[in-house]
Amino acid sequence: MHADRINRSVLTLFAVLLIAAGAAAGAASLGLFGTATKHRILLHHALGDFYSRHGDWLWPVTALVTLLIMLAAVRWLLTLLFTTDRAGDLRIADGGPGRTTLAPGALTEAVVEEIESYRGVDSARARLIGDPTNPQLVVTATLEDSADLPALRRRIQTGALTYARAALDRPDLATQLDLTVTTKRSSRVS
Amino acid sequence: MRIVNRLLAALLALAVIVVGALLIIEVVAARLGRKPALVHWHSAYAWAESTQWQQGSVRVAAVALVVLGLLLLIAELKRPRVSRLAVADDTDLPDDVAFTRRGVAAALRAAVSDVDDIRAAKVRVRRRSVSVRAQAGAQDSDAARALREPATAAARDRLRDLQLAAPPRLSVRVLRRSN
Repeated sequence: MHADRINRSVLTLFAVLLIAAGAAAGAASLGLFGTATKHRILLHHALGDFYSRHGDWLWPVTALVTLLIMLAAVRWLLTLLFTTDRAGDLRIADGGPGRTTLAPGALTEAVVEEIESYRGVDSARARLIGDPTNPQLVVTATLEDSADLPALRRRIQTGALTYARAALDRPDLATQLDLTVTTKRSSRVS
Repeated sequence: MRIVNRLLAALLALAVIVVGALLIIEVVAARLGRKPALVHWHSAYAWAESTQWQQGSVRVAAVALVVLGLLLLIAELKRPRVSRLAVADDTDLPDDVAFTRRGVAAALRAAVSDVDDIRAAKVRVRRRSVSVRAQAGAQDSDAARALREPATAAARDRLRDLQLAAPPRLSVRVLRRSN
């Protein structure tokens, strides 16, 4: 998911803020900022004093900045809950005046059907992710343990994945093939 | 970790939204000269005005913040467990091919379990090493020791079949049947 990197960065930043706040409070508590500091009340520090003096305009500004942060958080939450990395309809260059598009599902279903028709393949899944102008085909194939794994892997690459490139007329289509192995024997007859 | 991160991120975003909304509401209420609207922050303010930095509760809170922050930081910076092991692709195609960690484990488990007199095997796949713990059918230690070589050979052959770009180091242990 495209939001994963942002999640990690924001959570790392949040962790650093927690450590910094805890360390600063601990240092003040132990008197590392001077013995006078540890006897002071919590609100008596530079920031607290500044707010006391300029609260008239500082609180509304704080509320405004908070509103901006809140809006960013709302957008972040909506991205987390409702967006997907799946590609939209793909435009096919047909040379004509019209516009031809291909639904990603049509391509992925064909790829899955092709791979599952190979002897030694237990099951397959495929999805098209990223920008429709530069998509990536992600395929997961479960191979039977008794199969010739290197040969089957090559067959998927030179067969199904190559056909997908040809269907989209994109020889450079990025593909990710994840192979897994199962000991269960397929009941399919191929 | 991705799922946990998504959950934590959603909770953090929700917390920011709730706290932010409360802060804005209280600032507006205070500007209009009203009493606290939703949160009775006056009591918290009074507590902060009467609490010194050196008090135990402040120290406990500081330690809790540092510990929580460190745990989160370690979790975020820790290298994720390997999920796929790349294959040494011998085609000229621009494919990113790999066996999943579970796939490698299943292939090796099946290979070792196929060895005569091996009852079961557990396989652990890491980024650079694979460890196999097989259980022999025999209760005799010597018989179990004798199975180590065929079990290792079976695992090594299967690993070779997978044609991984960076084959992990293999270690095989065969334990005798306990009872």
